[in-house]
Amino acid sequence: MRKVIRLVSIQLWAVLASMFAMGENKKRKTRALYVGFVLFLVLMSGVSFIYAYSMGIVLRMFDSIEIMPSLFMAMTSVLVLFTTLFKVKGTLFAFKDYDMVMSLPVSNSQVVASRLILLYSINFVFVLVVMVPVMIAYGILAGPGLNFYIYGIILVLFIPLIPIIIASVLGTGLAYISSGFRFKNLAYILFSFILLIGFMIVPVFLGDSTEAMVELGQEINKKVQEIYPLAGIYSKAIIGGEFVSAIIFMAISLLSFWLFSLLVGRVFVRINSSLMSGVAKGNYKLGELKTSSPLKALYLIDLKRYFVTPIYVMNTAFGVVIAFLAGLSLPFINLDNLSGQVDLTLLRDFLPMFIGFCMATSSTTMAGISIEGKNLWIKKSLPVSIDLIFAAKILVNLTVLAPILIASVVLGITMGLPFINVLVLLLMVVVFSLYISLYGLVINLIFPNLTWTNETVIIKQSTASLISVFSGMGMVGVLALLWGLTKDSLVAIILFIILLCVLILVLYKWLSYKGKKRFLSL
Amino acid sequence: MLRIENFSKTYKGNKKAVDNLNLRLDKGDIFGFIGHNGAGKTTTIRAMAGVMDFEEGDIFIDDISIKSDPVKCKKNIAYIPDNPDLYDHLTGIGYLNFIGDVFEVSKADREEAIGKYADALEITANLGDSISTYSHGMKQKTAIISALIHKPKLLILDEPFVGLDPKASLTLRNIMKDICNNGSSIFFSTHVLLVAEKLCNKVGIIKDGRLIAFGPTEEVTGDLSLEDVFMEQN
Repeated sequence: MRKVIRLVSIQLWAVLASMFAMGENKKRKTRALYVGFVLFLVLMSGVSFIYAYSMGIVLRMFDSIEIMPSLFMAMTSVLVLFTTLFKVKGTLFAFKDYDMVMSLPVSNSQVVASRLILLYSINFVFVLVVMVPVMIAYGILAGPGLNFYIYGIILVLFIPLIPIIIASVLGTGLAYISSGFRFKNLAYILFSFILLIGFMIVPVFLGDSTEAMVELGQEINKKVQEIYPLAGIYSKAIIGGEFVSAIIFMAISLLSFWLFSLLVGRVFVRINSSLMSGVAKGNYKLGELKTSSPLKALYLIDLKRYFVTPIYVMNTAFGVVIAFLAGLSLPFINLDNLSGQVDLTLLRDFLPMFIGFCMATSSTTMAGISIEGKNLWIKKSLPVSIDLIFAAKILVNLTVLAPILIASVVLGITMGLPFINVLVLLLMVVVFSLYISLYGLVINLIFPNLTWTNETVIIKQSTASLISVFSGMGMVGVLALLWGLTKDSLVAIILFIILLCVLILVLYKWLSYKGKKRFLSL
Repeated sequence: MLRIENFSKTYKGNKKAVDNLNLRLDKGDIFGFIGHNGAGKTTTIRAMAGVMDFEEGDIFIDDISIKSDPVKCKKNIAYIPDNPDLYDHLTGIGYLNFIGDVFEVSKADREEAIGKYADALEITANLGDSISTYSHGMKQKTAIISALIHKPKLLILDEPFVGLDPKASLTLRNIMKDICNNGSSIFFSTHVLLVAEKLCNKVGIIKDGRLIAFGPTEEVTGDLSLEDVFMEQN
């Protein structure tokens, strides 16, 4: 056990160090980041509390408050499953320091246990941020007895275990199936999107939106407990105060985790060898070579790097895929049938924010520098200006965002937006794309991490990615604020475009001077 | 071909990695840069290659300052670090073609150069495979070919013989002699003193960031071997 703890602590510190990677910056700034991270967690807990409390009030109105903890527990479990699914390859399997870790005098099961505990530790923080505020909100609204808190505090430790196991099985299966394809990374990305969108679509078919809130709540709770029986056991323990249920919940979670570690330990080397070994044919004959301009060559290299990293694509193209799917499906929906239930004018006004939201999470440049890692020497030694290197990275981001243009036109026309509004929306997409690309690059130059051993760290857990995603959403918030202030969607978008143009100018100036210096100093 | 003038580099924490280095190489020189681990070799090499910024002094390649015109300078040089991490997501030929594109080498020239050096280093058959499947030596060979595609005037190599098999090592030595006979120069660091003594017409010894010996190999060694001189100085 001591060895497992040692392994976990080393890996956890590596994750934390990567998260707060400050490059050449001083300790003071690192400390500021730690404080910022804690404040961020407090803020997220606050948001979680407000959400839980408001939902609790509605549930209480319909005498269904008792379903609240298990409902949130199930929701948290699904989120843990989602976030872990794409971390499995790179954390549990096919991680970069595999050779080093496996050469240590520890058993395979101990290595597996350490990797699973690492996944657990990361997810546990997230579970705490959601479930503790839920417990407080429930406590205020339902006034449960002491048992609720005792069981709640104990059981929260076990919530992430089963979702992590399910995600590990699914994630490994996904990686295994994809490895059989010629373009295995693209196959992995495609299957991941299908799985993710499948998860999102299934609940839509489970409930009927016309049902009363109380029925809907209980129906969802019933469905959740059917799909995820642990939620029912959790509910019996925490609400019913059943000691046996609490023991069953803990036992199932712990035993599954332990058994999974043992089982994976047996096939660990085989799975890793299969996932990590490439195919070498050794029969190449030199033929005619295709030539490109330096910019095109840099762009294609960066684009390939993007598409061979599934977690990069999954995290930065999800919004684009959602917008694109919305654009594809909306023409087949009869909006006139909806007009009785939904305010179409409001929907039209909301469209720019939906588009903006989809774009805000699509910055590839936020990891564009960090992804170079140990390869950065290549770009730095090439006879090209730093502008050209930056331009290639920005072009990749614009390429990823390009489908949003088509989606915007289709959505705008289908929703009956006036021609001028569609044009302005298009302009917003173009300008916002440029802003997101430049902003991501600036943030990554300020918070680079070139010493990562797992891409997940720089794409999902780095300071640059957090800042980029949340400030991107903040910009959508600004658009919403402008809409609220002007009460006119068109005027709000135009003001937003003007603001973006000013910011783009500032970012461009920064990149031209400080950005280049920072790049050179990496 | 190469002029290093008063070059110093201080890292954060005030550690002076290189202290007032002055050095000059002419066309056709093969220069061996020798020193302990942490003596300042890689720092000097990285500054020369334009991959690391520096404040004090300047470095000129073919009379062009790497500080003021890095792009023009880099067109004339090729650099291979001590551990050439190449793009794992590319094939060997994909990487070489990428380098050819960025250095704007014509199609015919790059095909000729790749064919010539890949055959010499016996790696042609593997060029279609992903670099992720390459051994350290194969990556080193690929990096060597990439450094030669654009016929650089100055080749900057950090420990180029590490990871190469004896035959490839001999081939590389022959290539080095060959390109220097054609007017290019080579600046390389090594811990293999026998190779340096046999191959280089000039050597330099760096200790604690200071160049403590520099000149034609026979002048630096005198009646002793390079190994004896190095051990005496250190």
